[in-house]
Amino acid sequence: MLEIKPIINALRRSKVGAILLLIQIAITTAIVSNAAFIIQDRMTYLQQETGYPEQDIFSITVMTYGKDRDLSQQFEEDEAILRNLPGVVDAALSNAVPLSGSGSASGMGLKPAPEPGRNVRAGYLFADDHMLNTLGVKLKEGRNFAPDEVIVTQDPGKVPNVAIVSSTFVQEAYPDGDGLGKLMYMGDKPFKIIGIVDKMKGPWLKDDRPDNVVIFPYIKAETYQHIIVRTEPGQRAAVMQTVEDKLLAAYDKRVFTNVITLDENKRQYNASDTLMLRMLMVLIVVLVAITALGIFGLTLFNISKRTRQIGTRRALGARKSDIIRYFLVENTLICSGGLIIGCTAAVLMGQQLLQRFSLPALEFQYVAGTAIMVLVMTLVAVIFPARRAAQISPSVATRSI
Amino acid sequence: MLIMKNVSKVYQTEMVQTHALRDFDLEVKEGEFIAVTGPSGSGKTTFLNIAGMLEPYTSGEYMLDDVNVGGLSDNQRADLRNQKIGFIFQGFNLIPDLNLYENVEVPLRYRGIKAAERKKRIESCLEQVGLGSRAKHLPQQLSGGQQQRVAIARALAGEPRFLLADEPTGNLDSLMARQVMELLEQINRDGATIVMVTHDPELARRAPRNIQIVDGQVADLTLYQGVTGQTDRQVVGG
Repeated sequence: MLEIKPIINALRRSKVGAILLLIQIAITTAIVSNAAFIIQDRMTYLQQETGYPEQDIFSITVMTYGKDRDLSQQFEEDEAILRNLPGVVDAALSNAVPLSGSGSASGMGLKPAPEPGRNVRAGYLFADDHMLNTLGVKLKEGRNFAPDEVIVTQDPGKVPNVAIVSSTFVQEAYPDGDGLGKLMYMGDKPFKIIGIVDKMKGPWLKDDRPDNVVIFPYIKAETYQHIIVRTEPGQRAAVMQTVEDKLLAAYDKRVFTNVITLDENKRQYNASDTLMLRMLMVLIVVLVAITALGIFGLTLFNISKRTRQIGTRRALGARKSDIIRYFLVENTLICSGGLIIGCTAAVLMGQQLLQRFSLPALEFQYVAGTAIMVLVMTLVAVIFPARRAAQISPSVATRSI
Repeated sequence: MLIMKNVSKVYQTEMVQTHALRDFDLEVKEGEFIAVTGPSGSGKTTFLNIAGMLEPYTSGEYMLDDVNVGGLSDNQRADLRNQKIGFIFQGFNLIPDLNLYENVEVPLRYRGIKAAERKKRIESCLEQVGLGSRAKHLPQQLSGGQQQRVAIARALAGEPRFLLADEPTGNLDSLMARQVMELLEQINRDGATIVMVTHDPELARRAPRNIQIVDGQVADLTLYQGVTGQTDRQVVGG
């Protein structure tokens, strides 16, 4: 016996508390379902596969102030020192560090400028033939740079004529066929695609095309340079401790501004996302807790307000289970109203977030999952006060106070 | 139909033992109308609570319609209350958020009676107390006397074996009290057994049988006569 009709009638006649609770449940459902969806979206983003053995890679930023050395030769020497260190797999100079949030990008043309043609955006790295091995990425097709294809220079007029690209870039640039061996252009300068890498990420994970990467065999011997190093598993920390001293011993008129692991670089780049993720999690916990406490408190209040009524119901033949059921049904009815409004609001809020902040469209299972979670939470919140109500003695009905 | 033998009720706190009823004996026969009187704190309400199975007794034996109440579980007592007893409370105890129809319906729902049968009984009982046209009204829209009549309709709707009335006119003015009393007398003439707790000697005198409770026991006949000056009342001694 669920007493649905009399409970609805009673709620209609005494509706303020119920409406407040209903609004609270609706707001919680709308916000939590969207927040949960955003959290899941960010978690997927933060946990995405980069293609790099991040735990084994670190980078060094070198600022050279000495003028008495040929930087091209010095960098060659530095690379050799690093590659010979115990525990080091490979090392390579680069203009940018992947995943760090700092680098270069350009539209790679399929036709030379100024001919009209399609451009495909890609982040690019200047590096030598050790870069693929240093980053731990694998060639899917084609070949690596030959040593004689790598141009180490301070002359901006000298440029290479080959490039290695990521498979995602090839799929976008040449959707109808194989891009290997094709020419692409940076401005009017042609580059032949000689290799395609299976999977790698550019400098910006938040770029709209983070997987489009092009590597040019080019070392611009400048005073400000990055060196990327990959070590054997478990050796990274030890190598990082010695690397600065070894390089300074080779040439000391320079400073090493940043010796940082790749995963730490990525963590710093994603710090705002991680913070948002944590804040959303806290928001969800707080909202759900407030709603649960609200239901708990309102039910307790209702019980104290209805002590005589509960005693009378018991005197008239209600079992303890009838009293518990009464409060559960009452709560479920209020909650159902709140969930209907909350789910509608969640979808509308999701549409607004999609339009205004370019977030992905809210998936229905997050709304349904949140609704189920809120319903279960409200039932859990009401069960203790309801059990307490069931303990009210029927003799309360005859008490004069 | 109601037999209490040596029923005692002791309220125990850490410091004090209070004997609300002591070796209480009473037999109520089918169709009787009994008024239970006594001073404040004498045990009238405790007797009513035990008779209505609203609280357990400490010792003794209580048979209601040949059922030994002492051996029943909480659920069995709730079911027996629902089926055998109709309650009329001093404060009416109507549920303020329910209209008259829904108030009278409460005990019938707990018995699992089907909607059509409930409707028939509710309408009949409200008619019987003269409030058939006001079924959709809320209790607060009625006078005290009318509310008590609704409570009587609620008590009657379950067609109980007997009615337990706790100061049924205690919150009413004299005119309304008389109307309610006349209604109870009519219900008794129609065959219902009624046990009415009251502190009002006028009201008690209208009941065919009186008992007085003093210090948790049924009072001595001579003492009762000395107090009230009545000799034409049937007084049952413990």
